[in-house]
Amino acid sequence: MKVLRLVAVMFLTLAGITVATADVWEKHGYDQQFREFPDASPSRRFPLGTDALGRDRLARLVYGTRVSLLLAPAAALVSCALALAAGGIAGLAGGVAERAILAAADLFLSLPWFFLLLIARASLPLNVSPAISVTIMFLLLGVLGWAAPARVIRASVRELRHADFILFAHASGIAPWRILAAHLAPNLRPVLRARFWIAIPAYILAEATLGMLGLGISEPLPSLGGLLRDLESIDISSRLWLLAPAVLLAAVMLSLQVLRPADPTL
Amino acid sequence: MAALVLLAGWGSAMLLRDAPGALVDERELNPRAGEETIAALRHNRARERSVAANLASYLRGLAHGELGFSESNHTSVAALIADRAPRTLRDVGCGLTLGWIAGLAAAVLVARFPRAWPCDVAFLGASAIALSLPAAFLAYLAMLAQATPKLVLAVVIAPEIFQYSRNVLRDGYGAAHVEMARARGVSESAILARHVFPAAAPPLIALAAASVSMAIGAAIPIEAICDAPGLGRLAWQAATARDLPLLINMTMLVALATTSAMTISEFFVRRGNR
Repeated sequence: MKVLRLVAVMFLTLAGITVATADVWEKHGYDQQFREFPDASPSRRFPLGTDALGRDRLARLVYGTRVSLLLAPAAALVSCALALAAGGIAGLAGGVAERAILAAADLFLSLPWFFLLLIARASLPLNVSPAISVTIMFLLLGVLGWAAPARVIRASVRELRHADFILFAHASGIAPWRILAAHLAPNLRPVLRARFWIAIPAYILAEATLGMLGLGISEPLPSLGGLLRDLESIDISSRLWLLAPAVLLAAVMLSLQVLRPADPTL
Repeated sequence: MAALVLLAGWGSAMLLRDAPGALVDERELNPRAGEETIAALRHNRARERSVAANLASYLRGLAHGELGFSESNHTSVAALIADRAPRTLRDVGCGLTLGWIAGLAAAVLVARFPRAWPCDVAFLGASAIALSLPAAFLAYLAMLAQATPKLVLAVVIAPEIFQYSRNVLRDGYGAAHVEMARARGVSESAILARHVFPAAAPPLIALAAASVSMAIGAAIPIEAICDAPGLGRLAWQAATARDLPLLINMTMLVALATTSAMTISEFFVRRGNR
């Protein structure tokens, strides 16, 4: 298992460095068209060939991976922050606030997450600039993913709220929000870390699925979902290199699965 | 449960009513549309503005079996759901059954024979790969292989069932009373049926409820990619066309299915704990 974890760390580090430094080493832009080479096969100039619009597939894969790898952790951070706020308030305040937050969480959890995401995404404009579509996707994933971690955090806060240091903080007149931020949050770190790592692969898959359904990030900005969508209109039986986005996605997801810490609440 | 279903419908209605561009009929942009036509279209859309009034009228209609009219499909929502539901119910039912049989059989095999580690590694690897790919991509591969959506659903469900039940069943097989039963010469099938499964039942029943939600969620991209005329594809079309009456009904239907599954599983878990 140690070897697997090491391989996963090395792969993710390598992938991270590769996509982060793409501007330095990648000669072609993700939207640069080579109109004389549409649908070209792999060559020294285009290692993964070009798409129907003559754009370098390798450049699009690298920049698309960068978008997906940045988007998912950022959205997971938003989810964890919202879950900490909601779960912390519910656990600390109790009473009506707790019941209201739990009811809202139940409402979110009563629907399959992808269905919820689909409705929310479709309610927002689809024909927008790439930057706005990235922001929409990032916020949607972050905002809609709060319910499950919030329930876990609320349970952890309820266990902690009668701890001596919290009672002492209350007795010293420290404001509830400060107790949550300065005293509870550090003690919830293992739970938050586990939820963060659980959320990242889920968000990468969600983006990929929405992208394949045409509800993802707008063209010309590539994402793993958008690149997989391209496959729908192509016969890949004799051009297996077109599966590169799927292989890379699977490798990233496998690495994240290997590195995912156990949830201490389970 | 009823409150949750209603809240889900109300929430989706609020979300869609306030969405940018919502409640604007694109037929208004038709240059040949006359003043009266545009006024009639706007009047119809204005009626959809009040969510509370719409919900009340929806509930009145529901009592008479009417679910509203789908603008994007030009037919009644009840007829659409009645037309598409059998296909999805069949696919989700078959997918869940196949997924559970495959996942549970692999988990029992791995838990029962801990020394068969190559088998465990192979199943774990296969399930990890299946969980690493989006359901939509698996559907695309299935389409190339001319496989059916129910098979894709099984491929999506089985790894989750395997990974979870493998751990639960391993704990069951490792219990002291199981060792004792084995030492007393109780057959392996009796150990599985009388000692391991009863102990593993509560988490597996909870997983059964969660797997219904998973299957419904996965049915949307799978049906959309495989072009299967079911409720999943209808939900996708309704979402992209912002068909408010259809989406509210779909949301309530999905919420009803998932909360029913959870309620039934809670009932059985409580009964088992008594």
